[in-house]
Amino acid sequence: MITIDKLQKKFGDRVVLSDISVTFEKGKVVSLIGPSGGGKSTLLRCVNGLETFDAGSITVDDLKLEPGDAKKNKHALLAIRQRVGMVFQQWNLFSHRTALGNVMEAPVHVKGVSPAQATERAKALLDRVGLSHRMGAYPHEMSGGEQQRVAIARALAMDPEALLLDEPTSALDPERVGEVLDVLRKLAKEGQTMLVVTHEMRFAREASHRTLVLHGGAIIEDGPPEQVMDHPTHERTRAFLGKG
Amino acid sequence: MGLAACMAVAAIAVQSCGGNGSGAPGRDAGAAAPSGARRPDGSLARVRAAGVLRWGGDVQGGAPYVYDDPDHPGQNKGFEVDLAIALARELGVRAEFVQNDWSALVPSLERNTFDVILNGFEVTRPRVGRVRFSPPYYVFAARLMARRDDARIRADVNSLRGMRIGTLTNSFSEEVLKGHAEIVGYEGTEEPYADCVAGRTDGVLLDDIIATIYGVPKPELRVVGDLADGFYAIAGRPADEDLGVALDAALARIIASGELERILKRENIYNDRQLGLRTWSADDQRRMLGLSPAAPGQTGALGGPPPGAAGVSSTAPHRMTLGQVWMFIQGAGITLLLSILAMGLAVPLGLALAVSRLYGPKFVARLADLYVEFYRGTPVLLQLYVLYYGLASIIRLDAVTAAVLGLGMNYAAYEAEVYRAGIQAVPKGQLEAALSLGMTTPLALRRVVLPQAFRLALPSVTNDFIALLKDSSLVSVITVVELTKRMTIVAVDTRSYVVPGLLCAFLYFAMSYPLSILAKRLEERLARS
Repeated sequence: MITIDKLQKKFGDRVVLSDISVTFEKGKVVSLIGPSGGGKSTLLRCVNGLETFDAGSITVDDLKLEPGDAKKNKHALLAIRQRVGMVFQQWNLFSHRTALGNVMEAPVHVKGVSPAQATERAKALLDRVGLSHRMGAYPHEMSGGEQQRVAIARALAMDPEALLLDEPTSALDPERVGEVLDVLRKLAKEGQTMLVVTHEMRFAREASHRTLVLHGGAIIEDGPPEQVMDHPTHERTRAFLGKG
Repeated sequence: MGLAACMAVAAIAVQSCGGNGSGAPGRDAGAAAPSGARRPDGSLARVRAAGVLRWGGDVQGGAPYVYDDPDHPGQNKGFEVDLAIALARELGVRAEFVQNDWSALVPSLERNTFDVILNGFEVTRPRVGRVRFSPPYYVFAARLMARRDDARIRADVNSLRGMRIGTLTNSFSEEVLKGHAEIVGYEGTEEPYADCVAGRTDGVLLDDIIATIYGVPKPELRVVGDLADGFYAIAGRPADEDLGVALDAALARIIASGELERILKRENIYNDRQLGLRTWSADDQRRMLGLSPAAPGQTGALGGPPPGAAGVSSTAPHRMTLGQVWMFIQGAGITLLLSILAMGLAVPLGLALAVSRLYGPKFVARLADLYVEFYRGTPVLLQLYVLYYGLASIIRLDAVTAAVLGLGMNYAAYEAEVYRAGIQAVPKGQLEAALSLGMTTPLALRRVVLPQAFRLALPSVTNDFIALLKDSSLVSVITVVELTKRMTIVAVDTRSYVVPGLLCAFLYFAMSYPLSILAKRLEERLARS
């Protein structure tokens, strides 16, 4: 459902993504791993237009993003963002809204769902991520793990066809990582399409159908997680996985 | 050094004895009482010892009084400069001009910034209670002017009922108008005539000298006639009787010798009204001061007002009336109303400016930049002037509208900066999260960024509102009578700044303090969420 074709991006002179072409299928969980600065997060952010790119294209269903600023891609961008949800490393919950308010915000104000309906839905989603008891809490009253689970519920509230997760557990206390991964595993089982940038190798191995290794702005490894992790073909991957 | 200090202290002690010990002499001598029985108060000796007669005035009052000499910039010129030099010469000292804001001449005299006021200072009833007036050195007419095409106005004070007549605040003309017309008070001499031309007032009543210079040159205006005679006289401290008596004598010599006539002729302001100065008697002086002519065997007693004099009857400091307190509260109401309306304009305009600067197209952002820099970079007083007087030929705003617009547009520039800082303090991730959910940028700003920015900006906004509450006193320059203006008006009526000043301060505080509390509560509540 998401096709990336010859994608290139530079920050000034530095090439961040060089000639990336890859297709993600519906219902699959793909983990993006690799050393820091390899371009994983940038790739993810390009997909929903938080970053622009210099060449190539990104197609989501029938919507196409092309090089250039947000104005040029305006219509495609808004449509893609409604179909592709995003979960951030730092959660980015709206700090002036409760957990429930965060989840309801977009359905009501973007999709035009009635508040009553949105409330019902938000409650169900919060229940699904195990937070039905925290609906009235403000972000600063919640732990990182709880906030990230609210953020996942917030993204799900738009019924996204795909979910982009940018290092969803990297900013969490170690004892809070598990509760977030549990939610993601459950989503994976339910067939939610997900692209996860992660450093959690066990999670990548157990929960994803496919693993990509990005290095230097290029995909240097692509395959089922067991194959990529147990029999890496690229020496950089071996170095990264500590199998030198 | 030590000796000099001792002598200075002694001199002050003597002086204050003269002032406080007997209280009355200063006042009754104001009616040119014989000084035989009086103890010297040291004031003349002090001036002689210093070798300088310091006289206060305001160059801003302009020609022909005291003004900057166009041929010698930095030097003063005017008939009062010449008069001061002549008076000082008669006392055997040098004259020294002290520049002082005209509206604060009396307080400055009282705190000894100079020895006398000599600056078109009219003899008015409230002033008679506070300063010691010499015989007059100029007799002027309160001259009424109106628009050429306006036939309703006649040279009769009773014909002015219900009309808006401009004049200087606390002037003789204002006294003449009291109870007869709706008075519009100004601080400057050009503005009343400009406003009359613009149709904001029906007429202007001011000293003939002022009318000749500022009113007559305007082709739209005509002289209606003169309503009353008034006097310019030298004003000193009541306690400085020695100096006063010496100056009275000096002035009499200058008049008798024909020197004053020459001085007045040099500025082309001599006329036959001045003839009476040569024969000025003690009775004339009493009449001028509003005291009853002395009955035989009775000297220097304070009498009642001349028949027909409206309003305040005593020249001594007196209490504020309930009516005046009510006027104060009304003034406070106007201050509050102006502030709320101005802030009501400043907040949305400031928000629009801040958003334009941060997210608008380059051209719009640049315009918003210019707006903010222009309004922050120029004084609000100037902006009010330009808006009300400067643009009067293009757009004729009434005073309150101009005040609200002027203050609101000025404060919008500050609000814009406050909101910009607030918006920039909201983490970038908030906007990204909102966009990633499919919100457009305007929606994301409205729903996510601005509410948080507002919370961050709230303390500054409250601060600005409290500042605005006080800055609103500036609009008195465009004839709006708000709290501070009301205070100065009442202070002149009651001869004292103390009680009106305290009441005024209390009312400002009563308005701003609850706001501070409210803001603090709001802040705490928002901080919790």
